[in-house]
Amino acid sequence: MAHVKIFGYANRISVKPGDTINFHVNADGAANANAQLVRLIHGDQHPDGPGFVEEEIACEANGDWAVKKQYTQIGSFLEAVDPEGRLAIEGSLTLYAFIFPSLPDAGLRQCLLGRWNNIKNVGYCLGINPKGHLEFWVGRGDEVDYVETEIPLIPKMWYFVAATLDRAIGRATIHQESVANRYNGLLGKVCPIDYRSHVSEPFRFRQTHLAETPFLIAGSRDWHEARGPFVSQTYCGKIDRPGVYNRVLNWAELATIMGGALPAPEAMIAYWDTTLGYTDKGIGDLVEDAGPYHLHAWGYNRPVRGQTGWNWNGRNDCFRLAPQEYGGVEFHYDAMIDANWEVTRSVALPAALKSGAYAMRLRAGPGRGLGEEYVVFFVRPSIQKARLAFLFPTASYLAYANEHLSFDAQIIQPMTGQPPILSEIDIEMHKNWEFGLSTYDCWADGNGVCFSSYHRPLVNMRPKHRISSMGVTWQFPADLSVIAWLEHKGYDYEVLTDEDLHREGLDAIRYYSCVMSGTHPEYYSEKMLDATEDFIAGGGRYIYMGGNGYYWNVAFGEDDLSTMEVRKLDSGMRAWSARPGEHYLVTTGQKSGLWKNLGRAPQKLLGVGFIGEGFETSRPYRRMPDSYHRTVSWMMKGIEGEMLGESGLAYGGAAGLELDRYDLQYGTPPHAKIIASSGGHSDNYMLSIEEILYPYPGLAGSQDYRIRADMVYFTAPNNGAVFSSGSIAFGQALPTENFKNNISILLGNIVDAFIAPGMLPGALWVNEEKQWK
Amino acid sequence: MTNSWRNPLYLWDVKDAVEELPTIDYVSPQEVWDRTRSSDAVMLPVGRLRYYYKWSGHGAALWNRLRYWPTRRRVLNIRGEYNPKTLRSEKTIVDKRPIWWLLGLLALALAPLFVPADLQNTLLTAGATFGIYAAINLCWMLIIGTAGIYSLATYAVVGVSAFGTAYLSIQYGIPWYGLPFIGAMIGLLSGLIIAIPATRLDGFYYALLTLGLNELCRVYAQQSRLFGSSTGGLYGADSYIPQSWDQHSQSLLAYYACFVLMIMALCLYRLINGRRIGRILRMAPEKREAFAEATGVDYRRARIFVFVISSIGLGFIGGFYTAHFRGVAFSIFSFDTVLLGLAMLVIGGLGRAEGAVVGTAIVILLDKILISMGPVRLLLIGVIMLGVVLFLREGLFGVKAQFRAWRDKKKSERRSTRAVKGGEMLPEEVTETKNKDLSYWRRYDKMQRDYLRTLISSELIEEHQRSPLGQHSEPLERLLLYFRRAPMADKYAIAVVEPFKAYRIVALSGHRGVAPRVVEDRIYGSQNEAYHGVFLRRVQDLLES
Repeated sequence: MAHVKIFGYANRISVKPGDTINFHVNADGAANANAQLVRLIHGDQHPDGPGFVEEEIACEANGDWAVKKQYTQIGSFLEAVDPEGRLAIEGSLTLYAFIFPSLPDAGLRQCLLGRWNNIKNVGYCLGINPKGHLEFWVGRGDEVDYVETEIPLIPKMWYFVAATLDRAIGRATIHQESVANRYNGLLGKVCPIDYRSHVSEPFRFRQTHLAETPFLIAGSRDWHEARGPFVSQTYCGKIDRPGVYNRVLNWAELATIMGGALPAPEAMIAYWDTTLGYTDKGIGDLVEDAGPYHLHAWGYNRPVRGQTGWNWNGRNDCFRLAPQEYGGVEFHYDAMIDANWEVTRSVALPAALKSGAYAMRLRAGPGRGLGEEYVVFFVRPSIQKARLAFLFPTASYLAYANEHLSFDAQIIQPMTGQPPILSEIDIEMHKNWEFGLSTYDCWADGNGVCFSSYHRPLVNMRPKHRISSMGVTWQFPADLSVIAWLEHKGYDYEVLTDEDLHREGLDAIRYYSCVMSGTHPEYYSEKMLDATEDFIAGGGRYIYMGGNGYYWNVAFGEDDLSTMEVRKLDSGMRAWSARPGEHYLVTTGQKSGLWKNLGRAPQKLLGVGFIGEGFETSRPYRRMPDSYHRTVSWMMKGIEGEMLGESGLAYGGAAGLELDRYDLQYGTPPHAKIIASSGGHSDNYMLSIEEILYPYPGLAGSQDYRIRADMVYFTAPNNGAVFSSGSIAFGQALPTENFKNNISILLGNIVDAFIAPGMLPGALWVNEEKQWK
Repeated sequence: MTNSWRNPLYLWDVKDAVEELPTIDYVSPQEVWDRTRSSDAVMLPVGRLRYYYKWSGHGAALWNRLRYWPTRRRVLNIRGEYNPKTLRSEKTIVDKRPIWWLLGLLALALAPLFVPADLQNTLLTAGATFGIYAAINLCWMLIIGTAGIYSLATYAVVGVSAFGTAYLSIQYGIPWYGLPFIGAMIGLLSGLIIAIPATRLDGFYYALLTLGLNELCRVYAQQSRLFGSSTGGLYGADSYIPQSWDQHSQSLLAYYACFVLMIMALCLYRLINGRRIGRILRMAPEKREAFAEATGVDYRRARIFVFVISSIGLGFIGGFYTAHFRGVAFSIFSFDTVLLGLAMLVIGGLGRAEGAVVGTAIVILLDKILISMGPVRLLLIGVIMLGVVLFLREGLFGVKAQFRAWRDKKKSERRSTRAVKGGEMLPEEVTETKNKDLSYWRRYDKMQRDYLRTLISSELIEEHQRSPLGQHSEPLERLLLYFRRAPMADKYAIAVVEPFKAYRIVALSGHRGVAPRVVEDRIYGSQNEAYHGVFLRRVQDLLES
C-alpha cells in the first residue's frame, strides 16, 4: 500500500462563528479522509503536562471527505497578459533584459524571457543553459535551434543580455555585456574578467507557436498528464527592464539601451518597465508594460520587486528615493508562497462556536503520523463579550512557518546546544519542496526568504508539533499551553489574531480589559504596534506572555493579509542578512529590521526587551526586592518562598529559551518595577547581537549579568497596566503539576486584577516612603 | 585524576547540578598549534607549464559560428571558459577529430603526387585496395560497432554481390556503371536474409552462423561451374578503368575511384552513426538491451535497419569490386580474409570510423607493402592484433582515454599514499578546490581534532551521560561545541519513533530534498539517552579519524 499522506490549509486564518471557510487538501495514496472539527485546548505531549487535549465539535462538515492529489507550482515567475498573441512573434525578433543570475551554474536550464513550450519544443526563448551559458533558442516542434554565448555567466553580477533572430537571412545573434559598477555586483573591477560575448549563428528555420503557450519571464510552459499545464525551468536571480521587438535591433541600438536610454518605440512589442507603479506605500505584483500594447505581467509566487537594479550605484538605499535604480525583480526556482490548490470543501461553521483555536482534523489511511492533519484556524467571537482576550501571534507563526533550520543551518546545533529531534513531518517537509520556506531559511542561491504565507500547509502551526532543533513546543503549540491554563482556570476569554489586530487596529481590542500575548510575538507590523500602544495608553491592561517580542518590523499587503514580508538586516538575531540597498519592505515602503533600530524598542511599550537566548536548559525566577512593594505585592498572594517557576514543559523552568530584560536606556518606563528575575543561566545563553558593539569573552549566561529574564510591571494611563513575563518558557510553565504551580498562581492573580474594572490593586500605595526602614 | 571542575552555576541551585566534578588535567588548545610546524605529508610542487598558445575569447567582437549545412552541428565543438588560475576567457577545441580527418583525407588525396617513382605502382595499388577495404570495414563497423551485431558475413555479402554482378556483366554485358547498383540490390536481398536470424540469435551464436554462411558461399562458389570453379573465380567483367590508358594513369584513376568510394562509405557511416538511429543503438549495447527496451528504445528495429542499410552499402561495394578488379576470386570468401578484416577493426578500435580506416591502413600496409617479407608479415599482423587485444581496451583510438584512466588510477593511488584521512589538503587537492577557504578549514579541523582527542576520558563521558544538556565542564563543552559545528552532511540527528518513548539516531544528508539516513537500529527510550547515543557516536568518529 502506498504511504498515505494528507496535508491541507484553510483560506482564512481568522473567522467568526457561522462564517464559511474553505479547506484545500492534498492526499497521497488516499481518496477519502475523515474530517472532524475540533477545538484545540492543549498541544504539548510532554509527560509533565496534561498531554494533548482536543474537544470534538459537531459540524455539518464532519465525516468523510473526498480528497485527491493536488499539485503545487514551485518557482516564482511573471506571466504576460497577452490575449491577442502579440508576443507570438513568428518572424524577426529581439529580446533583451538586464539580468543578475544568482545560480547560473545550477546545472539546470533556466528561462529568462520567452514564449516557450518545453514539452512540445515550440516557440522562442532566451535563457541559461545547463552549462551556465546564456542561450537563445527557437523551436518548431520536431527541431530546436540554439545559439549560446562563448563564456559562462558569472554568478551575482549584472549583465545586459540580448538575442536577435533575423528572419530574412536566417541568422540568430546573442549578446552579453557586463553592466557592473562599483556597488551592484559580487566582484569588483580588480578581477581580470572579460564578461563580454557576442555570437552569431545561422538558424535552419523559424519558430512556430502554440496558441496556449504564455509568454513568461523566468520560466517556461510544461505539461504533465495528471497535472495539466504548469511552469518549469524557472530561474534564480534578478531581471530588470526586459523588452521585446519584432525586428532585429543591431548592436548599436542595443548598446543605447544598455547605456540606460529608453528603448526606441519603432517595432516595439513590449517593454516591461519594472520601475513603474512604485508608490510611497509599496509595490504590487503587477509589472507594467510601457510598450504600445500594455502586455502587463503578473507575478506568481511573489517575485521580489523593488530590489536593486542594474544601475543601482550605492547612493540611494530605497526604491522610494530612486525608483529608476530599483528595477530589479528577483526570482527563485524554489519559491513557494501560495499552494493554490483547489478547494476540497467549503465549510459553514456552526453559529454557536466558542471563541478559540480550532482545527479541522483530517485522518486518512492509518490516521496517524503523516495520515493525520490538523488544519488550524482561529475563531473570534461574533460579538465581543469577555473582558479577557488572548492574541494569537499569527505573524510570528508565519515567520517560522515550515522552518528548515535543523536541516539547512549549520549554526543551529551550536545555538540550541543539542542535536535536533526530527519527527516524520519535519523529514517530509525537508524532502518535499512543495511546502515552501520560512523567513528563517534561504533560497537556493543563499538569499534570505522574505515572504511567508499561510496559503500552504504549515507543519509547525499544528498541535503536538515540537520544533526539531530545540526539542520543545514553539509558537502555536506552545501558545496552547496558555489556552489550556485559561480553560483550566475557567476564565471567560476570547481570542483574536495578529491579522485582526493589523486589519482593525485598536478596534480589534478596544473593548477588552485585558489582552494576553502569545509566548513569542516576535514579528509585529506598525499597525499592530500602534494598536497595542494605543490600547495600553487608553487604559488597557496587557500581559506580555513571552520573550523576544515586538522585535522585527513586518508588513502585510493592503488587500492580502495571508502573506507577510520581513527583511532582516543590520543587527538582531537573524537567520540571514538582506543585501545592501534592499532593506525596505516592498509591501509598504517602510524600512524593515528591528523595531529597536527604528526608534521603537520593545522596552518602550512593555518595559522589557530581548537580551539573550539559549535552548537547552531553563531556570526559575526569584523574587526581586521590588516585588515586596505594596503596589505589586498583591501578585504574590498565595505564593510561598521566593522561587518562581521551578518546573515547566520547556526544559523544566519558567525562564528559558529567549529572555527579555528591563533596560532604562531603551525606554523602560521609569516607574516600572522588576518583580522577579531569573539567573544562573548556562553558557549556551548568549547575549543578543544587537547588544554587542564589541564582542569580548564572557558574554555568555554564567558570566554576563544582563542575561536574565525580568518580570516587569508598570502602570499606564487611565488605569492601564502592563505585566511582562520576560521569557518564552513562562507560558509552558503553566501546565505543570496540574496547573497548581506558582507561575499559575502568579498569573492568576494578575489576570484577576487586570480583568476587574476600576482601579488596580495597590494603586494607592504611592506616597513617598518613610525613612523608618 | 587530581583536577576537578567547579560548576559556576552550582550556587544558583540549578537542578541536578553537581558542585564539583573530577576532570582531566588542563591541556592548552594552543599546544597543538605550537607543536605542528610542518605538514605530515611532503608538499610536492604542482602546476603545469602552458607550452602552447591558447586563443582568448572574442570579447567585444562578434563571433560568427559555422555549421555543417543542413544540420545544427557546429564545425568545431569549442568550449569557452574562464581559466580558473587567471580568469582569462579561453577557448578549447573539445573535439579535434574534424581537423584530423580533414588533414588525413587531404594527405590521402595528395599522396600520389609525392609517391617515389619506383614504388608508385605498388603504393597506388595498395592505396586502391585500402580504399575498398576501408569502405567495406566502415560498413562492417556499422554492423558490429553501432548495431552491436556480431556478424562475420560481411565479406560473404560483398562476395555474393561481386560474383552476382560479375556473372551478369560477363553473361549479359552489363556496363561497369550498372554494377554497383545491381550489387546494391543483391546486397539488400542478402542483408534481409541474414537479418532474419539476427532477430533471434545474438553474440557468439550469430557469429558462428554468419561464419558458416561465409563458408557455404565459398564452398558453393568453388564447386559451381557457373561461378568458375575451374578458373578460381569469375573474370572478364566490364571495368571503369579504360584499358587503353597507360599503367600509371590506370593506377591513378583506380586510386582516386577507391578514395571516392571510401568517402562515400564515410558519409554513410556518419549519416547512420551520427544521427538519431546511431544514438538509439548506442543506448542499447549488448547485454544492456533490457534497460534500453525499458526506456522505450526499439533497438531491434533499429538494429535490423542498420544491418540492411549496411548490407546495401556492402552490395554496392561488391559491384564496385567487380568493376575494379574486372571480376572476383573465391578468396573473398576465405576465412583468412574474414580474419584479416577483423584484425583491421580490432586494431583501430570498435565503434569508430577512424578506427576502421586507420586499422585498414595499417593492415594493408603490412600486407601489401611488405609483401616481400613473405608470411612473416602475417605473423606481424597477428602479433599486433594480439598486442592490441591484450593491452588496449578500445583499439588504437582508445589509447587516449585508456591512458587518462590509467593516469587517474595512478594519481589516486599516489594521493592515497600521501594524504592522511582528515588531514590537511595536499597542494594537488587545493588545485581542484574552488573555495580555498576549505583548505584552511581542513587545517583548523585537523588541529581541533588532534587537540580534542586528548580530552576524551571516561570522566567526560560519564559527565555527559549524567546531563547531556546544560552547563558542562570546560573540556566537555569544547568537545560538544566542536561536534555541533560540524558540516551538515552526515551530521547526526535524532528521529522520533514515538514521542517521549522511542528515538533513533539518523544522519542528515546536507542537501535539501534528501531525507536523513538511519545509522543504526537501536531504539533509545528517552531524549537524554538519544543525546548520549549521538555523543558516543561522535566521540567514536573523532577517535577513529
